[in-house]
Amino acid sequence: MAEKKKVIKRLKTMYPLRGLVDKMFEKAVEYSHEGKPVAWCMVNWWGGDSLLRAMDVACIYPEDYGAVCAAAGVAQTYLERCNSDGFPDHICGYARNCLGYASLMKAQGGIPAGAPMGGMPKPSLLVGSGYFCDTRFKWFQALGRYMDAPLWLLEMPHPGVPESLGKDSEKYIIRFMVEELKKFVAFLERSLGKKMDWDRLDEIVSDTIEMNRVWWEVNELRKVKPCPVHSRDFWSCMPAALYQAGDPKETTILYKNMYDEVKGMIDRGEAAVPNEKFRLAFAELPPWHSLGFFDNLAERGWNCVVESWAYHPPQFIDLSQYKDPLERVARHTFQYFAGFFKHAHEAGEELGYFGYPYIEYVKNYKCDGFLAHPLLTCRTATNHLMYVQDRLMQKLKVPSLFMEGDIIDYTLFNPDEVLRKADAFEEAMLHYRDVRKKEGLDW
Amino acid sequence: MEYFLGIDIGSRLTKGVLIEGNKIKAQKLCSSGTNYHSTAQRLRQELLAEASVSPEEISYTVATGFGAQSASFGNQQSDELRCCARGINLIFPQVRTIIDIGSISSRVIRIDEHGRIVNFAISEKCAAGSGYFMEILANVLRVELQDIGPLSLKADNPVRFSTGCAVFNESEAICMVSEGFSKENILAGVHKALATKISSLINRIQLKQSCAVCGGGGLNVGLIKALEREMGIDLLVPEQPQIITALGAALIAQKIAEEETHANTAGEKKFTDIG
Repeated sequence: MAEKKKVIKRLKTMYPLRGLVDKMFEKAVEYSHEGKPVAWCMVNWWGGDSLLRAMDVACIYPEDYGAVCAAAGVAQTYLERCNSDGFPDHICGYARNCLGYASLMKAQGGIPAGAPMGGMPKPSLLVGSGYFCDTRFKWFQALGRYMDAPLWLLEMPHPGVPESLGKDSEKYIIRFMVEELKKFVAFLERSLGKKMDWDRLDEIVSDTIEMNRVWWEVNELRKVKPCPVHSRDFWSCMPAALYQAGDPKETTILYKNMYDEVKGMIDRGEAAVPNEKFRLAFAELPPWHSLGFFDNLAERGWNCVVESWAYHPPQFIDLSQYKDPLERVARHTFQYFAGFFKHAHEAGEELGYFGYPYIEYVKNYKCDGFLAHPLLTCRTATNHLMYVQDRLMQKLKVPSLFMEGDIIDYTLFNPDEVLRKADAFEEAMLHYRDVRKKEGLDW
Repeated sequence: MEYFLGIDIGSRLTKGVLIEGNKIKAQKLCSSGTNYHSTAQRLRQELLAEASVSPEEISYTVATGFGAQSASFGNQQSDELRCCARGINLIFPQVRTIIDIGSISSRVIRIDEHGRIVNFAISEKCAAGSGYFMEILANVLRVELQDIGPLSLKADNPVRFSTGCAVFNESEAICMVSEGFSKENILAGVHKALATKISSLINRIQLKQSCAVCGGGGLNVGLIKALEREMGIDLLVPEQPQIITALGAALIAQKIAEEETHANTAGEKKFTDIG
């Protein structure tokens, strides 16, 4: 069979950033061999990672590893193992992958044979957060069936209501978060038997904020028509910032290189998808097992130019006035989770976590369509999609296409079904281009 | 004389329409069977024979439907949504919302005055909005498929199904049979459940009148009445609701051929001008 043509033009500077994920897992295996601490972390708030790194703990992320396993085509083994241990099919694909992996690890007495990227070694610590997602409250607790490791959950207030914009609310939220971080430091010092290196933490926090600033600037460049960076590249580079996969100082340099490459492409009028006909916003996480599918869409001139806000870095705010690194961590994190609430409130939109940023993104990135990927096993990434569909149609006259699937379980995704709707969706996108023009919207 | 052919290969039935201009010259449908390729070939031959047209006289063929790729004689494939939209637009130009109830899924489509798609929603993996679900129920109740519509209209106390799921509704219907509910009341309850499901799809794309029903579901008078009650409007149903998508495929074939001719003529003219 002839090899499938790859249509999406990938950024050269993406590869070293993507390579950081491999290095992250390799480092954890090395640490494990050397008897140094390894933490299994949920994508929590970035603060947790910085604190762990300052204590010289290697961090790996079962959520990211789920994506790795799906892309490598081995996730099904772990999913089936998880099922046979009695966990239901409808819980999060990442969690099922992780639980199945842990079950095999226990049965085989170490990293399961054939685990991609060298596997995840047994953790010395489990660090999670219930923020964002219901599965997370119980997932790491359920790992207790397979391993014995101390668990810490980082929490923060959920400020997605108008009352959270009231006078002094932010002050109290930040105070709470700083207190949470102090307790986390005490837990780490107790568990690891050493003191926090505050100077190192200060440096890591500053570097992390700078890294996210540069990554944010790269994404700002994607507003240009035609867009030089497809979502495929975004997803490949995202772990470097989202999971702090490498040293943030070095990662910042890699993102700067990417900025330069993208800027050069813009100057030359180059796009990620030759002959960009339609610009799309993608929600939420992609089908990691079928990323080649996006080449089928790119062949039609569909360029995915922006994705879920939850995986994007926050808009930069200057935090240099705050000397306490824990406060900088708290404020940076608060900006990520709640920075857009004020804008949403001013625009008369719901403050709910996932809705409003899409309205801003679709408008600012001049999208023709909204490509939604409801996930059978993830309520957090799905429950707002219908709402977003309605708001985008009512407010911006932008249509949506739904492609049902899953991040990990390929049996739930049918790419042909999506392609069969593509012609019709193109016709709808063209129709609404005319409607927007008539209504004075500028794209 | 120029003829255009549309073939719609569905999971249960294959439909074909041959047009000349905007007039239907021949139309046919048959069971898709298990070999879509030979079914499509046979249907094509029958259409040509009925219209006394030779294969060479077919200017362009568009295939659509679940098995579109099996029509090896087709010049091009097109999606069912666009074909359905173009087909209805020819029969009922005033229609702006279409409900297409097929065997494996139901589709609702909003169109503009030219029959172009404005928005759409599909019942996707859920079988509860599909024609196949009606077949399952006909089997459970030992009733011929074509009789379920008229029978349901005789209901005096339609049952209420507790879920919108085809799998649960099937077992619920079996329980109702054993509890002594009449076939008429069970069928009316099923139609009400289907109408609710389809109506929620319509809400997603926002109803704009007039509204027409096509696909095999259009033959079910009980379902049509249930939909009218649920939506509070009168629905239009074409005389042959099953062939609408094939008709649209033929119209798309005609349009493509016209555009190609136009492009060629423009090219020739340009060449002549240069000469």
